[in-house]
Amino acid sequence: MKLSNFRFEQAAAIFRKDFLLGLRRRAAFAAMLMFSLTATANLSLSIGGAIFDENLLAALLWVVIFFAASAGISGTFETEAAAGTLATLKLYAEPQAILFGKMFFTLASLAALTVFLLPIFLILFDCTVAQIWLLLAVIFFGIIGLAAAGTLIAALTTSASVKGGLFPILLFPITLPIFLPAIQLTAAAISGADFETELLMTMAIFDAILITAASILFDYLD
Amino acid sequence: MLTAAIIAAVIFFVPPVKGLGDLAKIIFFHVPTAWVAVLAFFVSAFFAAKFLRTGEFSFDELSARSARLGFIFVLMATASGAIFSKLTWGAYWNWDPRQTTIFVLILIYGAYLTLRAAVTDEKARAKVSAVYSLLSVLTVPFLVFILPRMFFSLHPAPVINSAGKLEMDTEILTALIAAAVDATMIFYQLMKKRR
Amino acid sequence: MKKIVFENVSLNFGRHEIFKNLSCELDAGKVFGIIGKNGAGKSTFLKLAAQIIKPAAGEVKILGLKNVAAVTPELKIYDDLTAAENLNFFVKLRGKAVNLAEMGARVDLDFQNNTRAGDFSTGMKQRLKFAILLSVDADIWLLDEPTANLDDSGREIFYREIRRGAVEKLILLATNDAADLEVCDEIIKLPI
Repeated sequence: MKLSNFRFEQAAAIFRKDFLLGLRRRAAFAAMLMFSLTATANLSLSIGGAIFDENLLAALLWVVIFFAASAGISGTFETEAAAGTLATLKLYAEPQAILFGKMFFTLASLAALTVFLLPIFLILFDCTVAQIWLLLAVIFFGIIGLAAAGTLIAALTTSASVKGGLFPILLFPITLPIFLPAIQLTAAAISGADFETELLMTMAIFDAILITAASILFDYLD
Repeated sequence: MLTAAIIAAVIFFVPPVKGLGDLAKIIFFHVPTAWVAVLAFFVSAFFAAKFLRTGEFSFDELSARSARLGFIFVLMATASGAIFSKLTWGAYWNWDPRQTTIFVLILIYGAYLTLRAAVTDEKARAKVSAVYSLLSVLTVPFLVFILPRMFFSLHPAPVINSAGKLEMDTEILTALIAAAVDATMIFYQLMKKRR
Repeated sequence: MKKIVFENVSLNFGRHEIFKNLSCELDAGKVFGIIGKNGAGKSTFLKLAAQIIKPAAGEVKILGLKNVAAVTPELKIYDDLTAAENLNFFVKLRGKAVNLAEMGARVDLDFQNNTRAGDFSTGMKQRLKFAILLSVDADIWLLDEPTANLDDSGREIFYREIRRGAVEKLILLATNDAADLEVCDEIIKLPI
């Protein structure tokens, strides 16, 4: 990150602006929440009252988070590009401020998503969590990585002429190093089993790398 | 030429690995193609970085070609690996760490090529795909670290050991290395073509 | 000396050659009118001057000037924000403190109104874009067809502000409207 041309007040202004727009035009946010609700209900209904082991539950939870996030954040830059405001934004704000403003907003959206999804998921699957703090830590590191990679990939897909499904295809391989430990740690959190702290560390380190990489690579996209 | 010689050597001279039979010779196809698939991935990222530094479209072209070749090689490696896996472990697929890695490689190559196909503007395509290529390279060291912790491995060492040897036969090893060198040269030739 | 210098600039879109070995100097403190047929490269000239796009050959240098502000048809404002929210947002990105009432009087637009910009007429949107232009820090103004949707009073305001801004800024005004040329100090007719 080139700190010299990072202007925090610009990033903060963009975050606030996106927040305000998000409240006014709820489409993206509603799509994300409804997707997570539909997917969870769908899974729960179709499997009936069967009892799952923690591995399957953990995997289901992260698959729902992944695709709901895809539905919600793929348009981070696309809606502005389509409205013609992205060019204006680029004229008046530093690229790094745009990236981080959007990234923080994406992170906030994903946090809201999990606050909404998690209780529903746990209730519908009748699941008790043995180590709640571990689960929250895993989700925290997980959505940071999703937000960092997701924001950069949302910027990449803006120039694509065919967009259907492109975003999750691009996002999935990049976030695997977060996804896999997240599932394992979530399973441990549900069952109360011992877990490897190293895996949590790996997630944190990969988050940091994704944020740095997004910052460096974003400059080349102009 | 060399390719023909190695094929002949593999068929006629290399002794069959005990307990695996002649079909196991597919390993002389599998290992080199897997090697090239991984090599091409890094070559692609290398040229992507060069493109971002210089803005020369010839580097983008090379990066793309390397990815296309890598995609073909990774498919061949996966198919041959699955056959070998069926022979030795009794199943085509079992999410062994290396199978997972190679599957991730397929996903990345596929995503990269899909992205290229989806962006029509030449300049935008070059930039966007170079950025994606570099981003995807970052995942590799982490997967190498994480995967063995998540999935139990059956890969190389046990198989060769089950053949009753602590190390590979020198004949097998020589042939494998020769085949890998040969595959690398084929890759190099294909990269140079139409330059 | 504050100026923008074009040195042997060439640019083409596909086979269509727009500029070939163009060299010129644009001094600050003046308003340059850029005229020419559709497709002659008026908008492209503005983008080259502000280094928004790079020439295929040659170089564009900006000497002693920083920050660009622009009113062009491509640069949109946020339809879901009100006039005041739009202005405040861009001022926060790059600007000086702005007095809404004063600015409202200057461009004749009501900033107390809670209507979203999406419901504005094109003329009102154009006035809002002017307000943003006047409020952000910039040494270079790019204006592309700025008066196209303005009524007479809007044009009057616009010409007045251009004259006022021209004292210290470098202003490039691309237009098809002969009336606009009266505020210009120099005229550049494309193709050169």
